[in-house]
Amino acid sequence: MTAHAPRVAGAIVLVLALTPLALPPFFLQLLTEIAIVGLFATAFNLLMGFGGMVSFGHAAYFALGAYAAALLVKKAGVPMLLALPVAPLVAAAGALLFGFFIVRLTHTYFAMLSLAFAQIVFTVIFKWKTLTGGDDGLLDVWPPAPLKSPATYYYFTLAVVGICLLALHAVVSSPFGYALRAVRESPRRARFIGVDVRRHQLVAFVLSGFFSGVAGALFAFYNGSVFPDFAYFPKSFEPLVVALLGGVQSFFGPLAGAFGFKILEWLISRQWPVYWPLALGGIVVLVIVVLPGGFVGLLGSRRWRARPSA
Amino acid sequence: MFLFLVSVGMSLIFGVTRIVNLAHGSFYMVGAYLMVTLVELLPERPWSFWLALLLAPLGVALLGGLIEVGLLRLIYRRDPLMQLILTFGLILVIGTLVLIAWGPDNKSVSRPEVLAGSVRVFGQPFPSYYLLVLVLAPLVALGLWLIFYRTRWGMLIRAATVDREMLGALGVDVSALYTQVFVFGSWLAGLGGALAAPTVAVAMGMDGDVLTTAFVVVVIGGLGSFAGSFVSALLVGLLQSFGILVFPAISIVLLFALMAVVLVVRPWGLFGRAEE
Repeated sequence: MTAHAPRVAGAIVLVLALTPLALPPFFLQLLTEIAIVGLFATAFNLLMGFGGMVSFGHAAYFALGAYAAALLVKKAGVPMLLALPVAPLVAAAGALLFGFFIVRLTHTYFAMLSLAFAQIVFTVIFKWKTLTGGDDGLLDVWPPAPLKSPATYYYFTLAVVGICLLALHAVVSSPFGYALRAVRESPRRARFIGVDVRRHQLVAFVLSGFFSGVAGALFAFYNGSVFPDFAYFPKSFEPLVVALLGGVQSFFGPLAGAFGFKILEWLISRQWPVYWPLALGGIVVLVIVVLPGGFVGLLGSRRWRARPSA
Repeated sequence: MFLFLVSVGMSLIFGVTRIVNLAHGSFYMVGAYLMVTLVELLPERPWSFWLALLLAPLGVALLGGLIEVGLLRLIYRRDPLMQLILTFGLILVIGTLVLIAWGPDNKSVSRPEVLAGSVRVFGQPFPSYYLLVLVLAPLVALGLWLIFYRTRWGMLIRAATVDREMLGALGVDVSALYTQVFVFGSWLAGLGGALAAPTVAVAMGMDGDVLTTAFVVVVIGGLGSFAGSFVSALLVGLLQSFGILVFPAISIVLLFALMAVVLVVRPWGLFGRAEE
């Protein structure tokens, strides 16, 4: 972070805070979604960008957070403000259980095992009708009255996402974050200098699962309902595409990606809903072949770039 | 059987090019849809089904060739995960194009007249089309074995799975080999789809279904292993059929649990080789 970063951040916060006064509710919903996807992708990028671990099953933790939140409110009668911090713990517990196995593998196999576990989560949600409602999902999990309006929920989401991003940024800038980059650059050398590689990877995995769970829980209350789709594999590719769009080398890349992603989705699916997956796939292919650094990389902004191994 | 064709193609492509082709299920789907169209277009003659069965996989092979030359060739040197993500992007692109070309309705292909009925096996009626598939399965496996172990081309493929750099250093055009293998793998997936078309509803979403199962097959059998794909396709097929009888609710979980166990115990699969 450079000296004028706080000023930039302040300006962004100011703009975001004043938006509800200027824009119709629809855009607030779009911005709320952007914030949630941004958090999801940033949590995901803790693994991909900083840990060098690409998970193909992050929908699992998003869905665990969303379903835990919905179930706590609906079946256990827990108030929403209590369910919101508890639900990510469920996602983190899932990440701990699965991550224990997943971090034993590397590269392609890492990606595939994470996908396998996510498919298991999806199947359990899909089949366990008595608890999760199966295909029908769980409906009517709206937040209590003051938060129900788009504007208040927008502020609420911004605040929660902001806190989570600060926490994630603290993780990335901590000694742990630098050790994680060392693990990414060379697991063997990291081990030589005394870094417990697997433990660092597992901790990163659990943290990433936790914040994905926060995103899931926020989305559950935003959407007012949860569905098994949340755990299905296309959902796992969402943070991947978003992070890729924005640039995986920078902390803020995924946030920029979330903006681009959601606005594109809105523009395209408003007119041609059928073509959205085509456009999405096409963008992915193009970004990979033409723009390896993502859009942030394109701007050549090296300011916020994660420095390789400190 | 269909599963075997798809998995062996996927495994072959991985073995040589080190790309996990997530779009392989899409190739299978395109094979099935091409079969639908060809059977409709060709005049109703006894031979038209067989001609379609010949042409549909060739169409898929052509598609595979275009993708390999136009896209994948550009990124072989990049991070393998980027390749994985690229092929995922292709799933979306191909899926949508198929939707636009053929529409959202389920299609079906009628079986050729000779095989439309059923025969009695041990007193039970048994659709004769499956008999064809049962006969074809070992034939295809045998054919593949002959190609891999009795031809120069097969030897090059096996050499490429062991050590690509060395093969290139010995003067083999590895880049052309990649294209050939990718085309051949796509052809196998297309054949799988074309053969499966008369037995299933040809519909959107069949790409994802077959991909996840083929993926499990390939991982359990060992990426890049021909024998592995064969044994594990059988294993997974049996597990699916009996799993549905015994634990209907969790048969898919069973499948993925098996894959998870294999990945943890032998990450390179039952028949694969450890990598370093």
